[in-house]
Amino acid sequence: MSEPAQALSISERIMEGIKTKTVFTIHAFGSNIDISDTIVSMWIVMAILILASFLLTRRLREIPKKPQLLLEAFIGFINDFVTENAGHHGRDFAAFLGTIFTFLIAANLAPMLTPVGVSIGGFVAEPIFVIKPLTRDINVTAALAITVILSVLLAGIRYKGPFGWLKGLASPIPIMLPFNIMEYAIKPLSLCLRLFGNILGAYIIMLLIEAVMPIAFPPIAGLYFDLFDGLIQAVVFAYLSTIYIAEAIE
Amino acid sequence: MNPQSLAYIAAGMAVLTGLAAGIGIPLATGKAAEAIARQPEASGKIQGAFLLGIALAEATAIYGLVVALLLIFQK
Repeated sequence: MSEPAQALSISERIMEGIKTKTVFTIHAFGSNIDISDTIVSMWIVMAILILASFLLTRRLREIPKKPQLLLEAFIGFINDFVTENAGHHGRDFAAFLGTIFTFLIAANLAPMLTPVGVSIGGFVAEPIFVIKPLTRDINVTAALAITVILSVLLAGIRYKGPFGWLKGLASPIPIMLPFNIMEYAIKPLSLCLRLFGNILGAYIIMLLIEAVMPIAFPPIAGLYFDLFDGLIQAVVFAYLSTIYIAEAIE
Repeated sequence: MNPQSLAYIAAGMAVLTGLAAGIGIPLATGKAAEAIARQPEASGKIQGAFLLGIALAEATAIYGLVVALLLIFQK
Protein backbone atom coordinates (compact mmCIF):
# COMPACT_ATOMS: atom_id res chain seq x y z
CA MET A 1 0.00 0.00 0.00
CA SER A 2 3.01 2.31 -0.34
CA GLU A 3 2.30 3.49 -3.89
CA PRO A 4 -0.70 5.77 -4.51
CA ALA A 5 -3.80 4.19 -5.99
CA GLN A 6 -3.64 6.37 -9.11
CA ALA A 7 -0.63 4.42 -10.37
CA LEU A 8 -2.83 1.39 -11.09
CA SER A 9 -4.93 1.05 -14.22
CA ILE A 10 -8.69 0.45 -13.97
CA SER A 11 -8.52 -3.31 -14.52
CA GLU A 12 -5.67 -3.66 -12.01
CA ARG A 13 -7.67 -1.74 -9.43
CA ILE A 14 -10.67 -4.02 -9.98
CA MET A 15 -8.50 -7.12 -9.67
CA GLU A 16 -7.00 -5.63 -6.52
CA GLY A 17 -10.49 -5.11 -5.12
CA ILE A 18 -11.77 -8.59 -5.87
CA LYS A 19 -8.85 -10.56 -4.51
CA THR A 20 -8.71 -11.37 -0.81
CA LYS A 21 -5.38 -10.66 0.79
CA THR A 22 -3.73 -12.65 3.53
CA VAL A 23 -3.25 -10.33 6.47
CA PHE A 24 -1.26 -12.70 8.69
CA THR A 25 -0.68 -16.40 9.21
CA ILE A 26 -1.28 -18.40 12.35
CA HIS A 27 1.10 -21.29 12.98
CA ALA A 28 -0.84 -23.83 14.99
CA PHE A 29 -1.24 -27.60 15.18
CA GLY A 30 1.62 -28.10 12.76
CA SER A 31 -0.06 -26.25 9.92
CA ASN A 32 -0.33 -22.69 8.69
CA ILE A 33 -3.73 -21.03 8.81
CA ASP A 34 -4.00 -18.02 6.53
CA ILE A 35 -6.13 -15.25 7.97
CA SER A 36 -7.53 -13.23 5.07
CA ASP A 37 -8.79 -9.66 5.25
CA THR A 38 -12.35 -10.99 4.99
CA ILE A 39 -11.92 -12.85 8.27
CA VAL A 40 -10.44 -9.80 9.98
CA SER A 41 -13.32 -7.59 8.84
CA MET A 42 -15.70 -10.33 9.94
CA TRP A 43 -14.16 -10.18 13.41
CA ILE A 44 -14.72 -6.42 13.41
CA VAL A 45 -18.38 -6.87 12.44
CA MET A 46 -18.79 -9.58 15.08
CA ALA A 47 -17.22 -7.34 17.71
CA ILE A 48 -19.61 -4.52 16.80
CA LEU A 49 -22.63 -6.85 16.98
CA ILE A 50 -21.58 -8.46 20.26
CA LEU A 51 -20.82 -5.11 21.85
CA ALA A 52 -24.13 -3.67 20.62
CA SER A 53 -26.16 -6.61 21.91
CA PHE A 54 -24.34 -6.47 25.25
CA LEU A 55 -24.83 -2.72 25.68
CA LEU A 56 -28.44 -2.73 24.48
CA THR A 57 -29.61 -5.55 26.75
CA ARG A 58 -27.67 -4.50 29.83
CA ARG A 59 -30.27 -2.43 31.64
CA LEU A 60 -33.71 -3.50 30.46
CA ARG A 61 -36.62 -1.75 32.14
CA GLU A 62 -40.35 -2.22 32.45
CA ILE A 63 -40.89 1.21 30.96
CA PRO A 64 -38.44 1.33 28.04
CA LYS A 65 -36.28 4.24 27.08
CA LYS A 66 -35.23 5.15 23.56
CA PRO A 67 -32.55 2.50 22.77
CA GLN A 68 -34.65 -0.25 24.29
CA LEU A 69 -37.68 0.89 22.30
CA LEU A 70 -35.69 0.60 19.07
CA LEU A 71 -34.40 -2.82 20.10
CA GLU A 72 -37.89 -4.05 20.98
CA ALA A 73 -39.27 -2.76 17.69
CA PHE A 74 -36.52 -4.56 15.78
CA ILE A 75 -36.94 -7.86 17.65
CA GLY A 76 -40.72 -7.59 17.32
CA PHE A 77 -40.36 -7.00 13.58
CA ILE A 78 -38.23 -10.13 13.18
CA ASN A 79 -40.59 -12.26 15.31
CA ASP A 80 -43.64 -11.06 13.39
CA PHE A 81 -41.90 -11.57 10.06
CA VAL A 82 -40.89 -15.15 10.85
CA THR A 83 -44.19 -16.23 12.44
CA GLU A 84 -46.12 -14.68 9.56
CA ASN A 85 -44.13 -16.58 6.94
CA ALA A 86 -43.30 -19.83 8.74
CA GLY A 87 -46.36 -20.51 10.90
CA HIS A 88 -46.46 -21.03 14.66
CA HIS A 89 -43.53 -23.49 14.67
CA GLY A 90 -41.51 -20.85 12.88
CA ARG A 91 -41.19 -18.95 16.16
CA ASP A 92 -38.41 -21.41 17.14
CA PHE A 93 -36.31 -20.20 14.22
CA ALA A 94 -36.79 -16.48 14.81
CA ALA A 95 -33.50 -16.20 16.69
CA PHE A 96 -31.51 -18.01 14.00
CA LEU A 97 -33.05 -16.10 11.09
CA GLY A 98 -32.82 -12.83 12.98
CA THR A 99 -29.13 -13.42 13.60
CA ILE A 100 -28.49 -14.07 9.91
CA PHE A 101 -30.48 -10.97 8.98
CA THR A 102 -28.67 -8.73 11.49
CA PHE A 103 -25.27 -10.13 10.50
CA LEU A 104 -25.94 -9.56 6.80
CA ILE A 105 -27.10 -5.99 7.40
CA ALA A 106 -24.01 -5.28 9.48
CA ALA A 107 -21.73 -7.03 6.96
CA ASN A 108 -23.15 -5.13 4.00
CA LEU A 109 -23.10 -1.76 5.76
CA ALA A 110 -19.74 -2.12 7.54
CA PRO A 111 -17.69 -0.91 4.52
CA MET A 112 -19.28 2.51 4.99
CA LEU A 113 -17.51 2.81 8.35
CA THR A 114 -13.96 2.76 7.02
CA PRO A 115 -12.15 5.97 6.13
CA VAL A 116 -10.99 6.55 2.56
CA GLY A 117 -7.46 7.37 1.44
CA VAL A 118 -6.82 11.07 0.89
CA SER A 119 -3.98 12.80 -0.94
CA ILE A 120 -3.31 16.51 -0.34
CA GLY A 121 -0.48 18.13 -2.26
CA GLY A 122 1.44 14.93 -2.88
CA PHE A 123 1.01 13.70 0.70
CA VAL A 124 -0.93 10.44 0.61
CA ALA A 125 -2.70 9.12 3.70
CA GLU A 126 -3.91 5.56 3.37
CA PRO A 127 -6.05 3.96 6.09
CA ILE A 128 -4.37 1.02 7.83
CA PHE A 129 -7.19 -1.40 7.22
CA VAL A 130 -10.09 -1.09 4.78
CA ILE A 131 -13.26 -3.10 5.36
CA LYS A 132 -14.45 -4.28 1.97
CA PRO A 133 -17.94 -5.79 1.70
CA LEU A 134 -17.63 -9.16 3.48
CA THR A 135 -20.08 -10.94 1.22
CA ARG A 136 -17.98 -10.26 -1.90
CA ASP A 137 -15.98 -13.28 -0.69
CA ILE A 138 -17.76 -16.44 -1.81
CA ASN A 139 -16.56 -18.33 1.29
CA VAL A 140 -18.71 -16.18 3.59
CA THR A 141 -21.89 -16.61 1.56
CA ALA A 142 -21.22 -20.33 1.07
CA ALA A 143 -20.83 -20.79 4.82
CA LEU A 144 -24.12 -18.96 5.46
CA ALA A 145 -25.94 -20.96 2.78
CA ILE A 146 -24.64 -24.27 4.17
CA THR A 147 -25.77 -23.25 7.67
CA VAL A 148 -29.24 -22.47 6.33
CA ILE A 149 -29.60 -25.73 4.38
CA LEU A 150 -28.38 -27.79 7.35
CA SER A 151 -30.99 -26.16 9.57
CA VAL A 152 -33.63 -26.80 6.88
CA LEU A 153 -32.64 -30.46 6.82
CA LEU A 154 -32.56 -30.84 10.61
CA ALA A 155 -35.79 -28.88 11.06
CA GLY A 156 -37.55 -31.12 8.56
CA ILE A 157 -36.43 -34.26 10.39
CA ARG A 158 -37.18 -32.75 13.81
CA TYR A 159 -40.72 -31.53 13.08
CA LYS A 160 -41.94 -34.24 10.71
CA GLY A 161 -40.10 -37.19 12.27
CA PRO A 162 -37.61 -39.27 10.26
CA PHE A 163 -40.32 -41.23 8.47
CA GLY A 164 -42.45 -38.21 7.76
CA TRP A 165 -39.39 -36.52 6.30
CA LEU A 166 -38.61 -39.52 4.09
CA LYS A 167 -42.22 -39.57 2.96
CA GLY A 168 -42.01 -35.87 2.22
CA LEU A 169 -39.08 -36.55 -0.11
CA ALA A 170 -41.30 -38.66 -2.34
CA SER A 171 -44.22 -36.23 -2.43
CA PRO A 172 -46.42 -35.44 -4.25
CA ILE A 173 -45.57 -38.46 -6.47
CA PRO A 174 -42.61 -40.86 -6.09
CA ILE A 175 -41.14 -39.80 -9.46
CA MET A 176 -40.32 -36.41 -7.87
CA LEU A 177 -37.77 -38.07 -5.55
CA PRO A 178 -34.60 -37.15 -7.48
CA PHE A 179 -35.77 -33.56 -7.89
CA ASN A 180 -36.58 -33.25 -4.19
CA ILE A 181 -33.11 -34.55 -3.32
CA MET A 182 -31.53 -32.20 -5.87
CA GLU A 183 -33.23 -29.27 -4.15
CA TYR A 184 -30.91 -29.74 -1.18
CA ALA A 185 -27.98 -28.91 -3.48
CA ILE A 186 -29.66 -26.26 -5.61
CA LYS A 187 -31.12 -24.19 -2.77
CA PRO A 188 -27.82 -23.43 -1.00
CA LEU A 189 -26.07 -22.93 -4.36
CA SER A 190 -28.54 -20.30 -5.49
CA LEU A 191 -28.65 -18.63 -2.04
CA CYS A 192 -24.86 -18.45 -2.00
CA LEU A 193 -24.40 -17.26 -5.58
CA ARG A 194 -27.20 -14.69 -5.42
CA LEU A 195 -25.74 -12.86 -2.44
CA PHE A 196 -22.15 -13.21 -3.69
CA GLY A 197 -22.94 -12.10 -7.24
CA ASN A 198 -25.05 -9.14 -6.20
CA ILE A 199 -22.57 -7.71 -3.73
CA LEU A 200 -19.53 -8.40 -5.93
CA GLY A 201 -21.30 -6.90 -8.94
CA ALA A 202 -22.24 -3.75 -7.03
CA TYR A 203 -18.69 -3.53 -5.68
CA ILE A 204 -17.14 -3.80 -9.17
CA ILE A 205 -19.53 -1.17 -10.51
CA MET A 206 -18.60 1.17 -7.65
CA LEU A 207 -14.89 0.63 -8.39
CA LEU A 208 -15.54 1.44 -12.06
CA ILE A 209 -17.49 4.59 -11.18
CA GLU A 210 -14.76 5.72 -8.81
CA ALA A 211 -12.11 5.12 -11.47
CA VAL A 212 -13.98 6.91 -14.27
CA MET A 213 -15.47 9.81 -12.30
CA PRO A 214 -13.90 10.26 -8.87
CA ILE A 215 -15.70 13.52 -7.99
CA ALA A 216 -19.34 14.10 -7.00
CA PHE A 217 -20.97 11.04 -8.59
CA PRO A 218 -19.72 8.12 -6.39
CA PRO A 219 -21.65 9.15 -3.23
CA ILE A 220 -24.94 9.27 -5.15
CA ALA A 221 -24.32 5.95 -6.89
CA GLY A 222 -23.10 4.52 -3.58
CA LEU A 223 -26.51 5.19 -2.04
CA TYR A 224 -27.98 2.68 -4.48
CA PHE A 225 -25.15 0.20 -4.95
CA ASP A 226 -23.78 0.07 -1.40
CA LEU A 227 -26.72 0.95 0.84
CA PHE A 228 -29.89 -0.07 -0.98
CA ASP A 229 -28.53 -3.17 -2.71
CA GLY A 230 -26.89 -4.44 0.48
CA LEU A 231 -30.09 -3.99 2.49
CA ILE A 232 -32.29 -5.59 -0.19
CA GLN A 233 -29.99 -8.58 -0.49
CA ALA A 234 -29.96 -9.05 3.30
CA VAL A 235 -33.78 -9.02 3.27
CA VAL A 236 -33.95 -11.41 0.30
CA PHE A 237 -31.50 -13.86 1.91
CA ALA A 238 -33.41 -13.87 5.21
CA TYR A 239 -36.74 -14.11 3.40
CA LEU A 240 -35.69 -17.06 1.25
CA SER A 241 -34.23 -18.85 4.30
CA THR A 242 -37.56 -18.33 6.10
CA ILE A 243 -39.47 -19.73 3.13
CA TYR A 244 -37.21 -22.78 2.93
CA ILE A 245 -37.56 -23.50 6.64
CA ALA A 246 -41.33 -22.97 6.43
CA GLU A 247 -41.50 -25.49 3.59
CA ALA A 248 -39.49 -27.99 5.65
CA ILE A 249 -41.57 -27.83 8.84
CA GLU A 250 -45.04 -27.59 7.35
CA MET B 1 -7.06 -15.11 -31.89
CA ASN B 2 -5.75 -16.39 -28.57
CA PRO B 3 -7.99 -18.23 -26.08
CA GLN B 4 -7.89 -15.39 -23.56
CA SER B 5 -9.56 -12.89 -25.89
CA LEU B 6 -12.15 -15.50 -26.85
CA ALA B 7 -12.86 -15.93 -23.13
CA TYR B 8 -13.43 -12.17 -22.84
CA ILE B 9 -15.91 -12.25 -25.73
CA ALA B 10 -17.66 -15.21 -24.08
CA ALA B 11 -17.80 -13.28 -20.81
CA GLY B 12 -19.47 -10.40 -22.59
CA MET B 13 -21.99 -12.79 -24.11
CA ALA B 14 -22.69 -14.41 -20.72
CA VAL B 15 -23.76 -11.04 -19.34
CA LEU B 16 -26.56 -10.99 -21.96
CA THR B 17 -28.51 -13.05 -19.39
CA GLY B 18 -29.18 -9.65 -17.85
CA LEU B 19 -31.81 -9.23 -20.58
CA ALA B 20 -34.00 -11.86 -18.92
CA ALA B 21 -33.88 -10.13 -15.54
CA GLY B 22 -34.43 -6.78 -17.27
CA ILE B 23 -37.65 -8.09 -18.82
CA GLY B 24 -38.85 -10.13 -15.86
CA ILE B 25 -38.37 -7.75 -12.93
CA PRO B 26 -40.24 -4.76 -14.47
CA LEU B 27 -43.14 -7.06 -15.37
CA ALA B 28 -43.31 -8.30 -11.77
CA THR B 29 -42.99 -4.75 -10.42
CA GLY B 30 -45.79 -3.49 -12.65
CA LYS B 31 -48.10 -6.31 -11.62
CA ALA B 32 -47.26 -5.83 -7.94
CA ALA B 33 -48.02 -2.10 -8.18
CA GLU B 34 -51.30 -2.92 -9.95
CA ALA B 35 -52.25 -5.46 -7.29
CA ILE B 36 -51.47 -3.06 -4.43
CA ALA B 37 -53.51 -0.33 -6.15
CA ARG B 38 -56.44 -2.70 -6.45
CA GLN B 39 -56.19 -4.10 -2.91
CA PRO B 40 -54.10 -1.86 -0.66
CA GLU B 41 -54.97 -3.94 2.43
CA ALA B 42 -53.15 -6.99 0.98
CA SER B 43 -49.93 -5.06 0.38
CA GLY B 44 -47.94 -7.07 2.95
CA LYS B 45 -48.59 -10.40 1.28
CA ILE B 46 -48.08 -8.92 -2.19
CA GLN B 47 -44.73 -7.50 -1.13
CA GLY B 48 -43.63 -10.90 0.14
CA ALA B 49 -44.54 -12.66 -3.09
CA PHE B 50 -43.00 -9.82 -5.08
CA LEU B 51 -39.68 -10.02 -3.23
CA LEU B 52 -39.53 -13.78 -3.74
CA GLY B 53 -40.36 -13.38 -7.41
CA ILE B 54 -37.75 -10.74 -8.16
CA ALA B 55 -35.14 -12.69 -6.20
CA LEU B 56 -35.76 -15.70 -8.42
CA ALA B 57 -35.97 -13.64 -11.63
CA GLU B 58 -32.76 -11.85 -10.76
CA ALA B 59 -30.94 -15.15 -10.30
CA THR B 60 -30.54 -15.56 -14.08
CA ALA B 61 -28.64 -12.29 -14.33
CA ILE B 62 -26.50 -13.21 -11.34
CA TYR B 63 -25.61 -16.59 -12.85
CA GLY B 64 -24.56 -14.75 -16.00
CA LEU B 65 -22.34 -12.49 -13.93
CA VAL B 66 -20.79 -15.43 -12.09
CA VAL B 67 -20.11 -17.26 -15.37
CA ALA B 68 -18.55 -14.11 -16.81
CA LEU B 69 -16.31 -13.75 -13.75
CA LEU B 70 -15.27 -17.40 -14.01
CA LEU B 71 -14.37 -16.85 -17.67
CA ILE B 72 -12.38 -13.70 -16.94
CA PHE B 73 -10.44 -15.08 -13.99
CA GLN B 74 -9.77 -18.56 -15.36
CA LYS B 75 -6.12 -19.44 -15.44
